[in-house]
Amino acid sequence: MNVPGVRFRPLKALPALLNRSRATPRPCYVSKWLQSRGLQVSTAPPANAVPLRKHLKDEAKRKKADAKGLGGPRRDGAVTARLQKWELTVGIEVHAELNTACKLFSSATAASGDITAVPNSNVAAFDAALPGSQPQFQVATLLPALRAAIALGCDVQRKSGWDRKHYFHWDQPNGYQITQYYQPFAKDGTLKLTAEDGVPREDLLGAHSLSIGIKQIQMEQDTAKTSHHPPSNYHIDYNRSGHPLIEIITLPHIHSPQTAAAVVRKLQGLLKAIDACTTGMELGGLRADVNVSVRQRGTTGSLSYSGVAGLGQRTEIKNLSSFKAVEDAIVAERDRQISVLEAGGAIAGETRGWSLGSTETKRLRGKEGEVDYRYMPDADLPPLFIGNDLIDHLRSSLPELPDATMERVQREYGLTEKDARTIVALDNGERLEFMEATEELLQPRLPTNDSLELGRMAGNWVLHEIGGFLTANSLSWSDLKMYPIDLADIIAYLARGEITSRTAKQLLEYANDGSTSRGIGDLIHDLGLQRRPLSDDEYTELARTIMNENPGMVAAIKEKGQKGKIMWFVGQMMRRGEEETIEPEKAKEVVERILAD
Amino acid sequence: MALQCLPLRSALRCRPIPSLRRQTARFASTTPSPIDVAALLSKPTWSVASLLPSTSSSPSTSSTTITSKQLHHLLRLSALPPPSSPAEESSLLASLSQHLHFVDEIQNIDTTGVDPLQGLRDETKQGEREQELGLEALREALGREKVVGRYHRRIRRVRDAGKGEGREGVEEDMGDVMGMAGKQVGRFFVVEGGKKEGG
Repeated sequence: MNVPGVRFRPLKALPALLNRSRATPRPCYVSKWLQSRGLQVSTAPPANAVPLRKHLKDEAKRKKADAKGLGGPRRDGAVTARLQKWELTVGIEVHAELNTACKLFSSATAASGDITAVPNSNVAAFDAALPGSQPQFQVATLLPALRAAIALGCDVQRKSGWDRKHYFHWDQPNGYQITQYYQPFAKDGTLKLTAEDGVPREDLLGAHSLSIGIKQIQMEQDTAKTSHHPPSNYHIDYNRSGHPLIEIITLPHIHSPQTAAAVVRKLQGLLKAIDACTTGMELGGLRADVNVSVRQRGTTGSLSYSGVAGLGQRTEIKNLSSFKAVEDAIVAERDRQISVLEAGGAIAGETRGWSLGSTETKRLRGKEGEVDYRYMPDADLPPLFIGNDLIDHLRSSLPELPDATMERVQREYGLTEKDARTIVALDNGERLEFMEATEELLQPRLPTNDSLELGRMAGNWVLHEIGGFLTANSLSWSDLKMYPIDLADIIAYLARGEITSRTAKQLLEYANDGSTSRGIGDLIHDLGLQRRPLSDDEYTELARTIMNENPGMVAAIKEKGQKGKIMWFVGQMMRRGEEETIEPEKAKEVVERILAD
Repeated sequence: MALQCLPLRSALRCRPIPSLRRQTARFASTTPSPIDVAALLSKPTWSVASLLPSTSSSPSTSSTTITSKQLHHLLRLSALPPPSSPAEESSLLASLSQHLHFVDEIQNIDTTGVDPLQGLRDETKQGEREQELGLEALREALGREKVVGRYHRRIRRVRDAGKGEGREGVEEDMGDVMGMAGKQVGRFFVVEGGKKEGG
């Protein structure tokens, strides 16, 4: 059904006022997410996501270096001196796409992060801004938004309003974005960070945790997706237009780039744990804008932002799309501002952009005041009233937050801090669920071990052994075919000494190849895998027997230093010993030990 | 006679009558005496004509004058084309100054303690209670979530394949939005970007 007489007219070209820099193409991510403000995108994908364990190892290394007092690997004397003179202040605004069925003001499907959706298929009349279309608030979008506010400890306002933020862009069909400028729905929260989250030592100032204030959280609409097709064409997909977002605005309490990246990382983890925002930064579900200012230590600047006074002039860096980009952009902007101020210049309050791999931020827009958004209350929408019973219900049924989960896993299962952090973050909590189920099943099987030991065993197997198995076969967690009971059986047999660790690893493979539905016990019995592993003395005895029979070989190794012949001894031991009971690594160790004395 | 129409005024947006307000204050300080309604209503105290600038007063004497630069800024903000000729520009400036005179007259009203009206809604306590979104209103949405995991319990929204029920105001199918496209490539709208001067 064609609405007669209404044709979509491409909006007039951007006035110079909103001119964006289109000089260099900006590399984009593997997914099809594109920037929301019409910046160029090329198709070169530099996947910059760092794997979680590598990141944790890097953080541990950096912390160790900090502890030794050497500072980070990148810092040299000049930079440290500069940083001692100048203090950085950062405020972050995070936009997170909410996990909802419908869009914010229309009943069209909100397929967030769904890159397989047909373009322009989930567009309602209001999303395309057809004349006469009216917004209708979809109440289901309140759930993830309220959960986010509660998880961040905010005061949820009983009454909040909807305001229009006017600007013209082809990804904003209405000519305005509906947001909550005057009365956001949540205010005054906090986010706690510790050294393990990535906060450097200088920021903690001896305390255990750092508290970042959250100024407010507001709900707003997302814009459409544009992609640039050189030389001057833009393709627009309105599937994302009107998608609900929350904007989380922190107070300028952050004083280092690493803390800023840690804040964004922590927010992403938190929102994922409460099912409020399930697409991460790599898929474009989370975007960060940062405000950076510097001042000399000991002085106070003349400006104040959000009630924090004494700060210098700030610049805004928009559309940062990864944690590393956040950190690098802040470092580059801080250095640029310090250079300008040391040379005697003044910082202009402008909006800048950052592209991966660059060394300096680029100016996008002039002074802050130049864009006049003409905020006004939206007359089509009634104010939002949120009931206390709903807030209480959501607070009591809020899922366990990642911090609490990590602390519980360490306390109840004896895992190390690093392991706890990894297992909580992996596979949407599925691995942790598997581990907990395994530990519970281990209790009746190994009644003499205490629960911390069992927890450690289960954790080790789920993280390292199964993890290793998955990576070796290029599988993901969802491809795993075994059940917790299988793992519990394997660990129990191993712990009781009825199978060798090599057999245990083999059983892992058997349990996952899907060809058999037998339990572990049956498998062991049918395949005759029940082998008692040899003790140290038995190894030594066997080794000495073979050595006594071959004095020539022994002499060759001891006197002529022919180390290669050690493996010959190992081979002999394996042939001599009962089938499959000799482990070559252990045998080699024993032979070397004997030959050493 | 109820001259205490202050709360009513905000709801019904009465035409403000400055002279009457002064009389209200005077009346409040003395004992209420019978009001001569006929005398009150016989003399007009205000005219609609005051909302337009009188032809005798020249534009330069009005309190707010707009420069050509301001006009161009406003036209850019509104994505309107700049004036094509000096005659058009002066006519735009003249009509804009008339509008500003109107707005000045309106802004001269004393609105201390009066919240701006955003929409005609039920602002009584009962009305607000009815509009409140509580557990009942969200019950359906809460029903479309499930808890996964026995040990590590997490909430997950159930994703249905097609358009589910329970959406507010499911509108009639408006058909394919691509019908509105002036220019398209595949299933994308196409916009010609690039730097263009003016409109």
